Amino acid sequence: MIVKSRYKVVVIGGGVIGTAVAFYLAKNGVSDVVVLEKDYLSSGSTGRCGGGIRQQWSERMNVRLAMRSVEHFKRFESEVGFDIEYFQGGYLLLAYTEEEVLLFERNTKMQQEENLDVELLSKNEASSRFSFIDMSGVRAAAYCSSDGHANPHLTTFAYARAAERMGVEVLTHTSAEKIITEDGRIVAVQTSKGKIETEVVVNAAGGYSHEVGAMAGVELPTESYRHQIFVTEPLEHIMDPLVISFENNFYIRQTKAGNFIMGQGDKDELPGHNVTPTWKFLREMTEKMPKFFPFLRDVRVLRHWAGLYNMSPDAQPIIDRAVDIDNFYYAIGFSGHGFMLAPAVGEAVAEWIVHGEPRSVDISNLSLNRFQEGFTIEKNVV
Amino acid sequence: MRSVNNLDLLVVGGGPAGLSGALEAARSGLSVLLVDEAVSTGGQLIKQTHKFFGNEGFFASVRGYEIADRLNEELNSFENARILTEHSVIAIYPDGVPVVDMKRDTTEVLMPKKILLASGASEKFLQFENNDLPGVYGAGAVQTLMNQFGILPGTNVLMIGSGNIGLIVSYQLMQAGAEVKAIIEASDKIGGYQVHADKVKRLGIPVNLRHTISRAIGKDSVKGAVVSELDERWRPIPGTEREFVVDTICIAVGLSPSIELAAQAGCVIEYIQELGGYVPLRNDDMRTSVPDLFVAGDVSGIEEATTAMIEGRIAGLTIVEDLTGRCDQEKLNYLKETLRKFRSGPSSSKTRSGIRKLGGKVEEASFSERIECDFDSYKGKLRPIIECFEPIPCNPCETSCPVGAIRVGENINSIPTIDYSRCTGCSICATKCPGLAIFMFRENKDGTSSIGIPYEFLPLPVKGQYVSALGRNGEVICTAEVERVARSPNKTNLVYIIVPSEVAQGVRNIFVPSQEAETIVCRCEEVTVDQIRKAIKDGYKDFEELRRYLRISMGPCGGRTCRLNTLMILSRETGVPVEELAPGIFRPPSMPVSFKAIAETGVDDSEE
Repeated sequence: MIVKSRYKVVVIGGGVIGTAVAFYLAKNGVSDVVVLEKDYLSSGSTGRCGGGIRQQWSERMNVRLAMRSVEHFKRFESEVGFDIEYFQGGYLLLAYTEEEVLLFERNTKMQQEENLDVELLSKNEASSRFSFIDMSGVRAAAYCSSDGHANPHLTTFAYARAAERMGVEVLTHTSAEKIITEDGRIVAVQTSKGKIETEVVVNAAGGYSHEVGAMAGVELPTESYRHQIFVTEPLEHIMDPLVISFENNFYIRQTKAGNFIMGQGDKDELPGHNVTPTWKFLREMTEKMPKFFPFLRDVRVLRHWAGLYNMSPDAQPIIDRAVDIDNFYYAIGFSGHGFMLAPAVGEAVAEWIVHGEPRSVDISNLSLNRFQEGFTIEKNVV
Repeated sequence: MRSVNNLDLLVVGGGPAGLSGALEAARSGLSVLLVDEAVSTGGQLIKQTHKFFGNEGFFASVRGYEIADRLNEELNSFENARILTEHSVIAIYPDGVPVVDMKRDTTEVLMPKKILLASGASEKFLQFENNDLPGVYGAGAVQTLMNQFGILPGTNVLMIGSGNIGLIVSYQLMQAGAEVKAIIEASDKIGGYQVHADKVKRLGIPVNLRHTISRAIGKDSVKGAVVSELDERWRPIPGTEREFVVDTICIAVGLSPSIELAAQAGCVIEYIQELGGYVPLRNDDMRTSVPDLFVAGDVSGIEEATTAMIEGRIAGLTIVEDLTGRCDQEKLNYLKETLRKFRSGPSSSKTRSGIRKLGGKVEEASFSERIECDFDSYKGKLRPIIECFEPIPCNPCETSCPVGAIRVGENINSIPTIDYSRCTGCSICATKCPGLAIFMFRENKDGTSSIGIPYEFLPLPVKGQYVSALGRNGEVICTAEVERVARSPNKTNLVYIIVPSEVAQGVRNIFVPSQEAETIVCRCEEVTVDQIRKAIKDGYKDFEELRRYLRISMGPCGGRTCRLNTLMILSRETGVPVEELAPGIFRPPSMPVSFKAIAETGVDDSEE
């Protein structure tokens, strides 16, 4: 079934991270690459996510990585050759408590130091600029106009098709089943369609990153949690920014086609791979959201689904190379914000493999060994 | 949010299957709730003003709407049964089954012990230019408007399709005072029962075989339709276009099971062409792969009302046994036996083949399809089937046979007979027959059969190419691989295709994929055939990838109109048989529901 039984690099995972890594590998001159996807492209977390692209994070490293990604998103069409519905309509974060106001003040200060075009808005400023939101209870808002959103499926397809044009092989409906090591190095990957010998393996398995790590005998501290999301029928464009409230636990955006897409987190979720949506979620969201967006009351829900947040202990990605197996790389644990970081991460991982080190962005803080020391948790997560 | 805990059985759909299943459960004292989207229960029965065929024990010769009345009346007489009309079950979640009150736009959540899905079928859709104009109707919608609500959809109608529904609805339109200008039929034979066809012929409606609609005319609504004759390659013959001045175009090209809820609830589904498309797997008790979920009627395979009622009763009795441990085994056996008998005739051969694929037991009563009596004695040998049943003056088969195996005899009008013991399988007769009535046939050891089809069209398919295998009425039977193409000097080439043996007897033609017009497949998102083709060429070879790339089925219909058609295109373009393609994900809710309706979910106090 497999065209070739030997590739220089095997990327496990046909989501946005895996295809971005493959794209940047080819761009850096290594196109003897195969992407293994057990289902179809974007079938996992990527294709189930909200599609937001945000730079307003509470941790400096996340801000930098996101800003680097935005540079790529801005020139995506010319660089990768695809309209991915990228729209810089901003992100509006609503603060409802005094504690949130303080946090937003501290964050925007740090983000401004990183030259991010973020501003803190008073309730009145926010109300007059975003009149479609019921601002009852809002104390302040953080707004960054260069944040935005894009279509995650199209982004994944764009990377995959561009990589294919440069010689990369994308094998869908092909799962990695075993990673074969010899003397502390990976020598081959056993797939559902045959064995592939290889020099480098990249774990970009999203919700299944822990399981793929275990195939190589590496214990990765990630676990997956169900997050639900739904989409409404399309309406005329009225909502530029993606709106978040951490206090009220929601995010919402309007797609290019006009549909509203929204979700919330659930603290009671247990780790696992369950992606069956529940009535409880739909009930809670439909009850909650019209309080903030009154026009939603008569809008109809079209589709409802769930995906996995692959959580790391500090809710930040783990981008590293295994200590014991030095040809095993991982870009995992994105904790619900992998899509927006994909360009910068794909680029960094590819550079690491091809040139021996990431060149365009510093990702040293995202190594696995950070968990042996003290670490701070990213707070801006829904 | 509280849930209703003591409901024994939720029946989704109040057609013949749902009503019959509900009745069996109600008779045994179970608490039953039957939910139906329509204003009254009865399903398609309400619309049927003709008398039914079938078994006298199951309402034969009673008119459809009268059957509905009787079933409704009996169910309403039980205190433990309740009917909710204008309600819709929108999903089957592990933590509850939400039911929308479509009139008040509210929901309530149920926790039934058992569910009987009798959600019926939806109509297949046809692709032609301007097919989204108001005035283009499915035959079911026309029946609903006309026979249920007394509204005539239009005054001048063009009927597309000459199957029983097309014939019956044409008849009913005439009865209601509309003028049916014509029935057009793409294949070369009338699809429905001869008696139905005779009925519409008697009314003066022309039946145009081998005709197709190429476009609807009009800006805001249908003002006319352009119909062309098809050549042997299924292409409109230029110059044969004819305009019909009509305000209504009625499409009656078949049904596919409405499996959305079953699929979304996790039932294993499979594509079985003979049953109308995707169906949930189920055993002969009508139990699906989800043990508490049963199916009956068209959702389990397109058939008709009598079998739907029997299936509903079987499901109902099994549910009674599940919940009470009591079972009227005698009755259950009687129903299963009746069903088997009903399906043993020639007109049920498709259903039998479909049910066999589901692993069910069916019997065939003896009837003779062919005049060759010893054809079956030479299984495994390549040999001709001569389907020449009409005495005409013709004998090239006899004169061309090098071994003298075919005999017409002294009278050239005689029907040929063949001595298979002498036949060498050279296939010359098949290429010589002017009527293209001779097909080559061989049963292979791997459960497939090779069929040599006399084919006089261009382009000729090539070895290894996938084509659609067509039946005697031009209906697509399955996807088939071309085994070889035997070219003949007289240009009657033989295309040998490989098909599963169980459908081989019905395969008599092939369809070689060709260019279609710029027509819409997904009406919600306005995706065309060409866009889908191009995407497939660009590497999107999975329904879900196509959906995510082109937004197919992301609109309000949730894919009811376009999913199957997209899969058919995918199958044709990739050569992967449609039954091997992944059908894609079915996501809740199964119809668009407002925030208000969900947020204001109430509880069903009467069931508490």
